[in-house]
Amino acid sequence: MHDRLDISMRANHVLFAVLMGVGLICVALAVAMDDMFYLRLGTEALILGGLALSVDILLGFGGLLSLGQALYFGIGAYVSALVLREVPSFWLAMGTATTASLIAGILGGLIANRVRGVYFALITFGMAQVVAKVVYNTRELGASDGLIGVPVLEIPLGIVTVSAGNPAGFFMLTLAVVIALYAAVAYMFTTPFGRVVIALKANEKRVPFLGYNTWAPRMVCYVVAAVVAGIAGALYPMLRGFVSPELMFFASSGNAVIMVVLGGVGTLIGALYGAVLLTFLKSIVGSYTEHHLIAIGVVFIGAILFMPKGVVGVVKPWLERRLTQSETSSASSGDRTSGENS
Amino acid sequence: MKPILQTSDLSIAFGGLKAVDSISLSAVPHEITTLIGPNGAGKTTLFNLISGALKPNSGKVYLDGKDVTRFGPAQLQQVGLARSFQITNLFFEMTVRENLRLAAQILEPVSHAFRPLRRTGRAAQKVDELIERFELQGKMHEQVGYLSHGEQRRLEIAMCLACEPKVLMLDEPTQGMSHADTDETEELIRSLTDTVSILLIEHDIGIVMSVSDHVIVMHQGQKIADGSPAEVRANPAVQAAYFGHG
Repeated sequence: MHDRLDISMRANHVLFAVLMGVGLICVALAVAMDDMFYLRLGTEALILGGLALSVDILLGFGGLLSLGQALYFGIGAYVSALVLREVPSFWLAMGTATTASLIAGILGGLIANRVRGVYFALITFGMAQVVAKVVYNTRELGASDGLIGVPVLEIPLGIVTVSAGNPAGFFMLTLAVVIALYAAVAYMFTTPFGRVVIALKANEKRVPFLGYNTWAPRMVCYVVAAVVAGIAGALYPMLRGFVSPELMFFASSGNAVIMVVLGGVGTLIGALYGAVLLTFLKSIVGSYTEHHLIAIGVVFIGAILFMPKGVVGVVKPWLERRLTQSETSSASSGDRTSGENS
Repeated sequence: MKPILQTSDLSIAFGGLKAVDSISLSAVPHEITTLIGPNGAGKTTLFNLISGALKPNSGKVYLDGKDVTRFGPAQLQQVGLARSFQITNLFFEMTVRENLRLAAQILEPVSHAFRPLRRTGRAAQKVDELIERFELQGKMHEQVGYLSHGEQRRLEIAMCLACEPKVLMLDEPTQGMSHADTDETEELIRSLTDTVSILLIEHDIGIVMSVSDHVIVMHQGQKIADGSPAEVRANPAVQAAYFGHG
């Protein structure tokens, strides 16, 4: 018999598999119908999903609302673009973007982790705005125009070479990166370390009396979130061929928070569902009216009122019950447990 | 016998109020030392000073002969001092086993922090042992928030034992319990002394007299008596503090 937290994580994995399955079917359809637009939109949704995943690490597990997570996404994107313009190497770009977001995450974490709650939200917001404005006013970084002219990448992956210009190929590559990010983060939260982070969110005051440092786990969480955002960001210029300061602005950070809330806070997979929903919704509504933000706002309010636990929250309790039942009925381990059902 | 826990002239004042006023006490290994005193006597404040939740203005705390006055709660825990809380302080959304697992994983080395949770090993063993000892088998997959008050209080003690402390500080463990639960808890506390030394805050004089090896009486931040339960009961200053004459 597993712990509830393990069951909950397994339910996330099932929903992840569902999303991947549906995603792959859609890709097959798109390729069959020779579609470019939706494949690239799907790739963008996945990349933004990486940013949303990063927000959920902090919000859903650390209990920290970051309103500036796009900072690390932007750093990843800019570093990747700068590298690619000089040396068109996928691995070099990913490596430097990861390192840069790691360093930025440590610096940002040292500042932001001094405070909690509203102050944490404000500091993260402030840090992102400051850096975004600096980038916006730095000619060497393209100032308000951003950096253009990122070449179309040929990405050698051992046996095959994927071109970033090939929508289906690059979609699959992005998918692989997002799967790796999700798997790494999900694993982290099932370890003893992850349990301490979850405990910190639930009852911060008690944790030191169990012998645990409270600063270090938060710091690790923050840095991991920064790196996840940075890696996702590094893919962005490969897809779009440019980066702009808007990537770091509050709209990006805010959108990522909306994605997480829409998909389901604290589920990891909700971030990806939210990203897919919001990206496609924006694009579809945007093709009818330029006031698509009104529609997004209405959807967001509706989601909060009627699905407070997000899209994932609608099916997850049912899924958890099923997983618990199937486990209790096939339980052959030595656990003695009265047949509880929650 | 060499004391396991000792304080010397421990004091803290909040504004003009001397909440704890140069308290010196010592607890002997494998004994139960009980702090009693009227409400507001400073018992919980003294607990907070010893357990690192508050820093004293002056005085020292020694654990097993080592000066731990400036240690924070986490450090104190690691050198063998655990405490419970007067108001149940657990992780209510987690299950009983998840709570215990969280407390017990401190037994494993830090290098295991990023390994999968193991079904075997010291932490897992400890959890099984505590579930059995505290008779929580039927409840281990229930969220703590849904347990009865008595069960929560018992889990509170179990959590403290998970790290295998040398000294266990219990702040009113029977607070709000039914008579049956109180008797059971009393029994349990007594059975713990084979592995730990206990510093107890207790209001129920019946329990104090039957369970304690040593009683310390506090009144308005000061220690007014110190001795065996019988000695303390006979002390006129104690009677005055409790019944208010003099």
